[in-house]
Amino acid sequence: MNNLNTYLIISAFLFSLGLLGVLQRRNLIGMLISIELMLNAANLNFMAFNRFLSPEPFVGQIIALFIMGLAAAEAAIGLSIILALFRKLHSINIERAQKLKG
Amino acid sequence: MEVFSRDPVLLATILGTSLPFLSMATILIFTRHYPMLSSRISVSAIGFSLVSAIFLLVKLACAPGPIRYETGWLSSGLLHVPFGYFLDPLSLLMLTIVAAVAFLVQVYSLGYMAGDPGYSRYYAFQSLFAWAMMNMVIASSMLQLFIFWELVGLASYLLIGFYYEKQSASQAGKKAFVMTRVGDVGFFLGLIILTIGYGNLGISDLNTAASTHVLSQNLITLSALLIFCGVVGKSAQFPLLTWLPDAMEGPTPVSALLHSATMVAAGVYVFSRIFPFFSASPDAMAVALAIGTVTMLLASTMAMVTFDLKQVWAYSTISQLGLMVMALAAGGYFAGVYHLTTHAGFKALLFLCSGIFIHQYHTNDMRVIGKQGGRKLLIPMTCIIVGALALSGVFPLSGFFSKEAVLGALAENSNPIWLLAGLFGAFLTAYYSFRLIFFILCPQGGIEEKHPVDEMDAHVKQEHAEEHHGYLFWAMAIPVMILSALTLVLGFVEHPLENFMAGGIPTHHMQGVQHAAEQAHGGGHSWLLIAGVSAGLLGIALAWFEFGRKKAARVGFLGRFPTIWKLFERRWFMDDFFRKTLDRFVYAGLTRIFTMNDRRIIDGGIDGICFFTEAGGRLFSFLQSGMLQYNLLIMVLAAGVAILFFLV
Amino acid sequence: MDTSTGLTALAQAAFWITVGFTATGAVIAVFPRNILHNVLGLALALAGVAGLYLCLGSFFIAMMQLLIYVGAICIAIVFAIMLSRPLHLETPQRGVPKVAMALTASAVFFVAITSVTLRTEWTPPIGRGTDYSIETLGHMLLTRYELVFELISLVLLVAIIGAVVTAGFSRRSSS
Repeated sequence: MNNLNTYLIISAFLFSLGLLGVLQRRNLIGMLISIELMLNAANLNFMAFNRFLSPEPFVGQIIALFIMGLAAAEAAIGLSIILALFRKLHSINIERAQKLKG
Repeated sequence: MEVFSRDPVLLATILGTSLPFLSMATILIFTRHYPMLSSRISVSAIGFSLVSAIFLLVKLACAPGPIRYETGWLSSGLLHVPFGYFLDPLSLLMLTIVAAVAFLVQVYSLGYMAGDPGYSRYYAFQSLFAWAMMNMVIASSMLQLFIFWELVGLASYLLIGFYYEKQSASQAGKKAFVMTRVGDVGFFLGLIILTIGYGNLGISDLNTAASTHVLSQNLITLSALLIFCGVVGKSAQFPLLTWLPDAMEGPTPVSALLHSATMVAAGVYVFSRIFPFFSASPDAMAVALAIGTVTMLLASTMAMVTFDLKQVWAYSTISQLGLMVMALAAGGYFAGVYHLTTHAGFKALLFLCSGIFIHQYHTNDMRVIGKQGGRKLLIPMTCIIVGALALSGVFPLSGFFSKEAVLGALAENSNPIWLLAGLFGAFLTAYYSFRLIFFILCPQGGIEEKHPVDEMDAHVKQEHAEEHHGYLFWAMAIPVMILSALTLVLGFVEHPLENFMAGGIPTHHMQGVQHAAEQAHGGGHSWLLIAGVSAGLLGIALAWFEFGRKKAARVGFLGRFPTIWKLFERRWFMDDFFRKTLDRFVYAGLTRIFTMNDRRIIDGGIDGICFFTEAGGRLFSFLQSGMLQYNLLIMVLAAGVAILFFLV
Repeated sequence: MDTSTGLTALAQAAFWITVGFTATGAVIAVFPRNILHNVLGLALALAGVAGLYLCLGSFFIAMMQLLIYVGAICIAIVFAIMLSRPLHLETPQRGVPKVAMALTASAVFFVAITSVTLRTEWTPPIGRGTDYSIETLGHMLLTRYELVFELISLVLLVAIIGAVVTAGFSRRSSS
């Protein structure tokens, strides 16, 4: 069962779970966790393609490394935004943050 | 720089014609609060322009043909509009006139405007005026000419309305601006038609094309008539002539400039500028001839009844402009231009002299000036008589020569009615100018030494007495004397000038012109000479009989016909007619419709759009829940559905 | 042969166990309402993904995954939880319609992605390299992908400064 489709479906499963989390969690930190899941799913995709399809089997790894770097950056920024929002609203409930309501 | 040192003509042209603009900018930006400095800057700039204009005139007197510095400005497909300088005898002559009169007027204003709160502003506008007019004169394409033509209009608006705190002055400025604008619409339409029909707005190209029958006759007639509308507006011809008398609201030196060399001369200048083009259309020339004649006679009649010093000269300007248009329309190219030249000289002289009287006695009424001892001011009195003699066409002043040339051109025409009208106009001209002179020179019941107490209190009088012999007085007197000297001399340069002008237009036109000129002076028309002079002398004699002699009634023959007097005084009810037309037709009819359109349709439409936008916004604002997750949810759902859709 | 089939079976078993860990971790990361459980689930899922990387033959990336995600990001999240004290605050109730809609959307998305995966004919290229070594990776990072490498470090720097500024300014404005 160690073939491309298995990995892709696993990654799709991870991604959809992450998506579900982003869509239904009200806790901002929960959303951030879900986003990390989605990023990992994408990373897994890259690695799988690298393993099975890429003519040069290091390109995907390099991209995966870059995505990890970006994920670290994203986590740092996201957490600081959460902190800022928490200070402002005294809550990290996303449904409180609706100043743009029409 | 190297280009300039190799070509001093170009350098002089550029410097001479753009220095006034620089001086205007400098005054308006930097030296507004230093009136003396401003006037120095302006006067020296225009002085330099005068020097370079004379330099160009001398330099090009023996040049084989016109000099053009041109570069393409608008060029696309069939359209070609050049931009640059076009130096030929006509433009150089006009350039010199403009620079000279503007220079003298500015020097004169040093005295006349002294102490005025708007002194710097006045000089800035004067510079603007001179700059616009000089650039208009040497423009090489009709479009360029039109731009500066409008700038001349703007500058005259600013100067006529110079005392903007006075209601009548600002009204007069507006009137001048709007009435000339009516003509300019025609001018611009003419240019558009030319652009569509021919596609080249270069002046020399136009003239060549018209005289070589490249253009169709209808096109020429139509565009010439439309361009003539602009001439009518600018040169105050019938029916757009009433703005010029009202333009007296500006300072007197401005009137001098306006009436002699700049504003109103622009119209006649344009006519002569594209004279070959006009003369290719006999119909347009006939219309111009008729309009010129009507204008001349109407304005003369108006001048016969007014007591306002400046208004007399204003009406006489209109009638002389009519005479120039007549001359040009009758084919007398040189006669028209020559009369324009001499007229610029003596009309500036007349206005500046009147300005001295007005400055001295603080009134425009010739009767009051006469009573208060106007004839005691020897210099202006002498000069104004010289100017009036020139205006009446008495030998040996410049007006005599140019008027004879005009009459000669009119005599060329097969229909004698134009010549008769011209002679009658000369008679009227002499009559009304000397009516004015005699009013001042021989006031009724002698001079009242103790003039009635008016606004001049003792202190002011004291001041004026000092001024009389001071720097300010001479600043006014010297330009006047220079101008009267010019008036004396200018008549005798007719033949050199004529030869000089001969380089200006294509030869086959020139032959006709020379023919006419020769006939006017040398050959066969000695009766015309006598008729012209005697018409003038007759007018003077009548004026003397009615106003000058000891026991004269000082009413004038018109005084016995109050109806006609009223008719003339109200300017043949032309202003009332315009007013009524405006009120009845434009304001009551068109304006109401436009207002309704504005309120109901345009405003209402915009309001409606706003209403619907707002209502729609309110309707759909529930979509904007401000909730991040819903937005994201919709997005994801849409993306998923789209993928599935394209997959299936 | 026996050993090899045994090894293959073992590898298969290991693979599926890893997949199971990953899936369990992901479910724990998303569904429980206690945020600390979520973090632990995330750590489990990330570790599982690291195992999958191992199965894919990239030892180095697997280590990096453990190091960066499990070691750094999870810890940072724990810090954020402690700083914002969400445990003492309200635990918001779940709205049923919202969960239902979210479920629908992600299910649609999952179906879409999976069907794309299954319908596509994946054809490997003809001449494939087999060089998975860390040396090549490092070499490439410092030669061909040097610019991207530098860029990533720049992005990280900006992100760190941005995080400090965002958190710092919000403290000043709120206090």
